[in-house]
Amino acid sequence: VIRHSVCVVSIGVALQLGLVADASAKKADPTKMTCEEYLSLSESERPVAAAFLEGWNKGKKHVDIGEVGLDRDVTTLIVSCQETPKESLWRRFEKHVPVLKKHVKPIEMECEDFVGLESDIQPELYYFLDGYDRATRTQTDVAGEVDLEQDYRAFVQVCKQAPKESLWAKIKAHFGKKQRRPVMRSELRSKTLEGIASAALGLVAAAAAAQAAGPDRRAYFGETHVHTSWSLDAFAIGNTITNPGDAYRYFKGEPIKHPLGYDVKIDTPLDWAGVTDHSEYAGVVNLANEPGSAVSKLPEAQPLILKARTKEEMERVALYAINTLAAGPPVKALMSPAIAGEVWKRNVALADEANEPGKFTAFCSYEWTSMPNNMNLHRNLFFKDCAKVPPQPFSALDSFDPVDLWSWMDGQRKAGNELLAISHNANLSDGRMFPTEVDIKGRPIDAAYAESRVRNERLTEIKQLKGTSETHPLLSPNDEFASYEIMSILLGDPPGRIAHIVGSYARQALKDGLAMQDAEGFNPYKFGFGAASDSHNTAVPYRADNFFGGHSFTDGTIEARMSGTLVGGMFDARTESTAGLTGVWAEENTRPSIFDAMQRRETFGVSGPHIQVRFFGGWEYTPDMLAAREWVATGYAKGVPMGSDLPPAEGKAPTFMVWAVKDPTSGNLDRIQIVKGWSKSGQSFEKIYDVVWAGDRKADKWTGVVPPIGSTVDVEKATYTNTIGAVELKTVWTDPEFDPSLHAFYYARVLEIPTPRWTTIQAAKLGVAPPDVVPATIQERAWSSPIWYTPSAEARKGAKPGTTVEDLKKQGAVALSDAQLKALIEQKSVWLQNKVTGEKFMIIYGALGKGADAKPLVPAEPGWVTQRFPAGQGQFQVRWVGRNAAMQSLVGDAFEASHFGTSRTYNIANGKIVTELVGAPIEIAVYKLGDKYLGARSNEFGYANYEIVPAEVELSPLSAAPKVAPK
Amino acid sequence: VNRPESEREPAEPAAGRKGAADRLLREPLLQFLVAGALLFGGYALLRPEVFGRNASRRIELTPDDLRQIFVAWLAQGRPAPTLDEMRSLVEQKVREEILYREALALGLDQGDTIVKRRLAQKMEFLFEDLSDLREPTSAELEAWFREHSERFALPPRATFRHLYFSPDRRGGRARDDASRALEKLAGEPADAPAAALLADPFMFQDYYGDRPFQQVAASFGPRFAEALFRLAPGSWQGPIESGYGWHLVFVDSITPSRTPAFEEVEAEVRSEWVAARREEVKRKALEEMKARYEIVLPADLMAGWPAAANPAQAAADG
Repeated sequence: VIRHSVCVVSIGVALQLGLVADASAKKADPTKMTCEEYLSLSESERPVAAAFLEGWNKGKKHVDIGEVGLDRDVTTLIVSCQETPKESLWRRFEKHVPVLKKHVKPIEMECEDFVGLESDIQPELYYFLDGYDRATRTQTDVAGEVDLEQDYRAFVQVCKQAPKESLWAKIKAHFGKKQRRPVMRSELRSKTLEGIASAALGLVAAAAAAQAAGPDRRAYFGETHVHTSWSLDAFAIGNTITNPGDAYRYFKGEPIKHPLGYDVKIDTPLDWAGVTDHSEYAGVVNLANEPGSAVSKLPEAQPLILKARTKEEMERVALYAINTLAAGPPVKALMSPAIAGEVWKRNVALADEANEPGKFTAFCSYEWTSMPNNMNLHRNLFFKDCAKVPPQPFSALDSFDPVDLWSWMDGQRKAGNELLAISHNANLSDGRMFPTEVDIKGRPIDAAYAESRVRNERLTEIKQLKGTSETHPLLSPNDEFASYEIMSILLGDPPGRIAHIVGSYARQALKDGLAMQDAEGFNPYKFGFGAASDSHNTAVPYRADNFFGGHSFTDGTIEARMSGTLVGGMFDARTESTAGLTGVWAEENTRPSIFDAMQRRETFGVSGPHIQVRFFGGWEYTPDMLAAREWVATGYAKGVPMGSDLPPAEGKAPTFMVWAVKDPTSGNLDRIQIVKGWSKSGQSFEKIYDVVWAGDRKADKWTGVVPPIGSTVDVEKATYTNTIGAVELKTVWTDPEFDPSLHAFYYARVLEIPTPRWTTIQAAKLGVAPPDVVPATIQERAWSSPIWYTPSAEARKGAKPGTTVEDLKKQGAVALSDAQLKALIEQKSVWLQNKVTGEKFMIIYGALGKGADAKPLVPAEPGWVTQRFPAGQGQFQVRWVGRNAAMQSLVGDAFEASHFGTSRTYNIANGKIVTELVGAPIEIAVYKLGDKYLGARSNEFGYANYEIVPAEVELSPLSAAPKVAPK
Repeated sequence: VNRPESEREPAEPAAGRKGAADRLLREPLLQFLVAGALLFGGYALLRPEVFGRNASRRIELTPDDLRQIFVAWLAQGRPAPTLDEMRSLVEQKVREEILYREALALGLDQGDTIVKRRLAQKMEFLFEDLSDLREPTSAELEAWFREHSERFALPPRATFRHLYFSPDRRGGRARDDASRALEKLAGEPADAPAAALLADPFMFQDYYGDRPFQQVAASFGPRFAEALFRLAPGSWQGPIESGYGWHLVFVDSITPSRTPAFEEVEAEVRSEWVAARREEVKRKALEEMKARYEIVLPADLMAGWPAAANPAQAAADG
């Protein structure tokens, strides 16, 4: 931009200049330009035209001028325009998220402030205001022609004449004199009209063409969890060379070195990533600026060191270091800003260096590594804008309590620093990732906890090298695909501790969240899904045919892996999974766009392959809509995408549009399922629907279950073919069992056809048998974030109220004592009815041990011992439960117990029948009301849902069976 | 780090003794030793109690130390500490100092793998900082760029249109259907109206403008990309198989890979140069230090161990 010398020019002359300029050739209406025309503009004109469009956009939406971003980087707009040269610039622009480096508040500026701006951003502000002014003056969609160079020059002269005048007043006068058609809303100027503006916005938005088109979002695949040599544990197991810069190079497709020295290369490069080194150790690895002081602090680590100093013990030492640093008393010396801040700064610098808007996004991120008592409560933190990150991350040394992390995050957000947390490895949390009663410090889970958690923890990582956290076969006994890459251990392998299943899986948390919403009025578990790696190698193995482990020398050679090395003494290397990825639906590949997608939970997890899945929920989707070319736009216009709440009910049942496409370098698709969860009277339930599948398989007439697709896998050769399965699957599905009075969630799960697991491939390479500790084949998969349904107050009235313990007590019910409970159930077969589902079943309660043999049998074999249990403990068995019975949460596999005759143990203590599910106690209190006995399970939020009923003689009376198949 | 002022000057063309001195000053090991000595010496003067096994029995926190504690607290985004909190922070600091000195006195830092590795890594960070001492001149970068221009080669790009033949819809006939359609399209232009009717709707785009190789490979699979970039522009060709099925392709243009002009990539060259120099400094410094040691090893490194496959082979197998 040419800088004019200051000279005395009258306003009249300036205007004349402007008029002369209007006659020049370089005029165009930016709102009517095509992409091609935009690209033909000069480099200095492009940001100016974009600024005009932004002003026009804001003006048309009647939004307050507020703060205006300048010094824009239009690279992403240019890139997206290059792809569709014939499309209108306006459409591209609306979908584009600008990168703005400077912000001003024009309303508060004086002319001299404007004149004082750098010469290359002056025109951006001018044309922004021009666009805004024109938009608010005219009610049509015609902005009129703009001279992208001359208009502005004339105005600078005007402004220089009146340095102390308000910029906005001056600019309006200037535009006014240019004889534009004045219109009704001419004074729609910011501050005074906020209220009206927002009302107007609603009306305008509803009618706007942009709304009908919907946002144009693409799937971008990225890594949210990876460690480099800057993480102490990675360093301690031998990843000593590579840093976050190397990680970004790897994700972009360059080969880098595995810690053992060989080259590794990614299969399909990623679109984005955030390196998440442990914040707790960042300080330890870098003291370059103050080597003296850092050296002086080092022996602080002494108490952490094990006696063993052999190489074999190295990784155990590292784990001990992690445990103690994260769980024990904080070693503050290692956390001084001078140390930790320096590494954090390097981390941010490397992310900035790797970040290429439009091509590859690198986030500023880190891992908060809290693991009190070996319970994995880790979270990865992502920042929207690297320019605003704090001088130093909040680490587990500051607090191991997630509640403290969230309040720190709230503080950051208040200060304008957008950030979010992704929890990971719930499966290793010993049941503490998703508590339902008390938090890690024993405080009750309440509304404040729920709000804080949902505000900060937008996503959870449901698959990575150390297993899946979606669900577990004992929690989802009717989900035939639940047994997928399960790993149930504790970090650091504490001796004598068995990891809890209950509270460690995402689907159960989503269900508990609904029950808590229903029973207590808040839901702490509204999160979206992602997946990642947690590799400690800097590089990450995503594919079964290119698996090199994630833990340096412990699993870095085919021999170490396939001989079942116990990695860190914790898990068999053969049970390690390939790494997952997070897909986001975003307008463009930039930090703000991808961050916003994570923030609104429009994300999905994949097990490794880049499977794309779309999932929309609404009330009026039809197959015709899905068949139309613009079905995605319809998806947005008539409903909500994954991660959202369904809009208020408008129909009888919600409809869902679901679509998936395979990864072009992986297996075809088997099927798409919709997982539904719902809650009633403190109980929660789940059901899996097969909604669309490959081939001509027929869903079972009665259950709707689609038979397996078969397998093309040759286990011996470790090969498969894509001769079965589909490239693309899509359908519209309506919930056939919708109850508008109940809270519910829905998410989509996409399954690939069976392919060889990495262990099968490497067994074939070695010529050994595929390991018997893992399956030979797997079905890779994708999980969409859930969509939630919340009944209106009106709809809630339709729900049949359940019975609570509170109600019972009010009616004079009395809780049974230990002795009364014993008399009621011991050595009895008790028939019970679940009042919520109506299901009836029998529980056989065996004799409680007396420290001696149980009651002798009569009339024969009085010496035959039926049970021999310690004092006070007995076994129970559930009988007469069918495979398709509606089962409430946390009852284990009742069908299996019923069918195979397996039993579990119980005892009676403190007025409760105490049972357990893999160590998580579940207690039943029994109340006597008149001649009725009612039971309340401890995981059903205060409801008494079970009643002792007379024995049944006919389990499934034909008179009660439905005459028409449900499907 | 206090750096000698002379180190910050851009390198002048070397001449005579001055040139030799410059070269000497640029030697990584010398830089390292000088800077290290300055830092270490300075620190030892300021905090004598930290050094040596004969540490004094006096622990003194200066106002500066308190400020550091205070700032560390604030840096975590918390309100200023109360007097009680400050007392407890100071108590922790003192406790830490005592444990640290007692641990040193007992020699607990000796022979420990973790401590050794941390210290070794700090040395590496130190080298990295030293390598940042000097900014390259433009001429230097350009010369370096010429030596390594293959690193900056721009990928080939293609602009193409395609017709999709879906195995979901056509099963095993997809390829033959595509071949038959190609016969009908012989000599037809890219926008032939008949074209779209012959094929199936594609899930993504029908037209891809100016796409680099890697992006085509990510969208369609690498084999498709390789085949596509071998096609001559200007006519319908195929069928080519992708991860989704079969395609007929009309390539508008292919821009071959080219080496950019230095001016186009100067910023990238600079960051690559810095990274390369960092490695170089580390390598040289280590070499020179290594020269001062005598390293004694058993003659046969593998004696007494079962032979393992070499890791590179293992990776290829993996």
